[in-house]
Amino acid sequence: MKKVFFICALLIYGLLIFNQQQSRAEKMSHKDFAKMELKDCNSCHKEQGIPLTHDNDWAGRHHQNTDWMGEHRALAGKAGTNCIECHSQSFCNDCHTGGGVDAALRTPNFKRNYMPKNHRSDFISIHPIKAKDNQQSCIRCHNQKFCSDCHARFPKGSLRIKSHNPAGPNNQIYAASNWSIDHSTEARRNLQSCQTCHPSGDVCIKCHSSGKTRPHPRNWKAGNFKDRTNGKVCVKCHLPGTY
Amino acid sequence: MVRMPKRLLYPLLGAALLMPVSTSWALELHGRTSTQYLWFNNIFNDKKQAEFAQYLQFSLSDIDPDKKLSLHGYGRISQDVMNGEGFGERLFYLYADYRDLFNKVDIRAGRQFVNYAAGSALIDGGMVDLKNVGPVAFSVMGGRNVYYGIDGELTHAGDTVFGAAAYLTGYPATDAEISYFVKRDNDGIAREQIGAMFRHYLFGGLKLYGNTRFDMASENFDEILAGAKYFVNENLVLTGEWFQSYPTFDYTSIYSVFAVDRYQEGSFRADYTINHMFAVRGAYKYQDFGENTEGHVFEAGLKIRPIETLMLDFGYDRRHGYAGDLDGFTVDAQYDMTPNLQLAGGMAYDVYKKDSMTGDTNAQSYWLGTRYRLNKTMSVDARVQDNINVGHFRHDWSGRVAFNYDF
Repeated sequence: MKKVFFICALLIYGLLIFNQQQSRAEKMSHKDFAKMELKDCNSCHKEQGIPLTHDNDWAGRHHQNTDWMGEHRALAGKAGTNCIECHSQSFCNDCHTGGGVDAALRTPNFKRNYMPKNHRSDFISIHPIKAKDNQQSCIRCHNQKFCSDCHARFPKGSLRIKSHNPAGPNNQIYAASNWSIDHSTEARRNLQSCQTCHPSGDVCIKCHSSGKTRPHPRNWKAGNFKDRTNGKVCVKCHLPGTY
Repeated sequence: MVRMPKRLLYPLLGAALLMPVSTSWALELHGRTSTQYLWFNNIFNDKKQAEFAQYLQFSLSDIDPDKKLSLHGYGRISQDVMNGEGFGERLFYLYADYRDLFNKVDIRAGRQFVNYAAGSALIDGGMVDLKNVGPVAFSVMGGRNVYYGIDGELTHAGDTVFGAAAYLTGYPATDAEISYFVKRDNDGIAREQIGAMFRHYLFGGLKLYGNTRFDMASENFDEILAGAKYFVNENLVLTGEWFQSYPTFDYTSIYSVFAVDRYQEGSFRADYTINHMFAVRGAYKYQDFGENTEGHVFEAGLKIRPIETLMLDFGYDRRHGYAGDLDGFTVDAQYDMTPNLQLAGGMAYDVYKKDSMTGDTNAQSYWLGTRYRLNKTMSVDARVQDNINVGHFRHDWSGRVAFNYDF
């Protein structure tokens, strides 16, 4: 890992030096161009050899489907970014936290909250597929408690989960023959889905508490978690003084 | 549970109708009010629900002689009139922004969205940037961590976030940041991350970018994104990205102690504007879930503008592999009938299969919308949608009517 850090740092430093030699001009303010359509930005950017931040969105009215590419994340993540010159925070909020003061006609709403473009079709039905894709994508906008808050309102056993079938009176108990294979594989790939219905992890602790099946990864850094939580997360499974 | 400061939110939203009067001041006041009526089916109790909602978004500037201070706000109140859910409110942000103190310091105080490479949050707190001190600028932020559930705020006492960042400034073709982010709850430190982002233009047509987050407790990179975008010419853009994530959880949650699999994906996308009438796009994503499990996602799209006032957008998506199959298309149309009247409509049709034990199911949605601009400052929107084949409603009708006033 240290090598990776070193190589990355060296690469970045080299590029900075190179760029510094190329130009020492200040980054210009874009406030005066905030009302322009994106397609009209090309005239300046092409002359100066600087590609558009927002790509060649030909109609100038729709941003790219950010479900696909993470570029805007890289730029917006920078403190002091110049997004604010053209966009108010509501532009971010309307996608990330559900506001709808300026929603496009194509934008649907779930209850009173507006949904971004990547929540396509009947998203309530297809969201289990999307949620398994890249687990990080959901928590960019939703705290994990958002998932638990919703799922807690449905009766236990009413949701269909592969590894929970087919045994049990409500089809929600693991089949004994598949137990060890299915549940561990599913949990490792998408532990957040377990947390959605079992937020306290009570069902996990039944088998994974101290002296039973070890749940920790191979490079487990127990001390890091103990120090940061004052041992509170440890005592959920271990007796005080035994970890 | 700690609630948002209602004594600030309500007067602000209630003052929405007074905004036109106040614009005669020397102050610069801009923003929008939106009065909306929404209806939908409540999936939690299978009842129809209808609500009135009032939005207010504003920016107030030129408050002081030096024009350094500005105020920004955005919030919503709503009232259910059919299903007994009652009153709702959400304050998205309300902050004062003071810029260029001693030409070196920017200060932002109040509820605001903060975003570092290491983490982002909605906070009730402050952010201070120190700039013009060389090629590197600095930022610190902190405050109460605000987050929402389905209907309201879920923040608990003791939920806070703090962060600091150093970022490159003054380079036209380069952005870079390294930052630190820590989230606390009642049980201690819930997240502690270091983040970095980088973006650089090369040779006038190539853009390299990336960001990463490193989790301090598990000592793993919970995210790494690396991408390159090549502008072949002004009509053709090629994008390639590699992304990996290692799911991490709040340290105070029992789930943080479990072993998980790393997720990786590689994406390629091409966007080509053929001419003023046609633009096409295509993309492919390879997903690696670990343990020889994978997924494949394809997207193809076509935008057509046969006449200046009509735009059609066709999209096709297909995914298969682990986590289920999804095969569907979307069609959107937008027609500017007159300079003041816009008509729009569209549909989505998806065939999906969640896993091998379920059969194919389809989800359809159809929508129509219109926007009429009454004058330069006022407009009316209306939108109606029907979802078909959802679990709880054979026809799931929802919609909204909005009156918008820009000032």
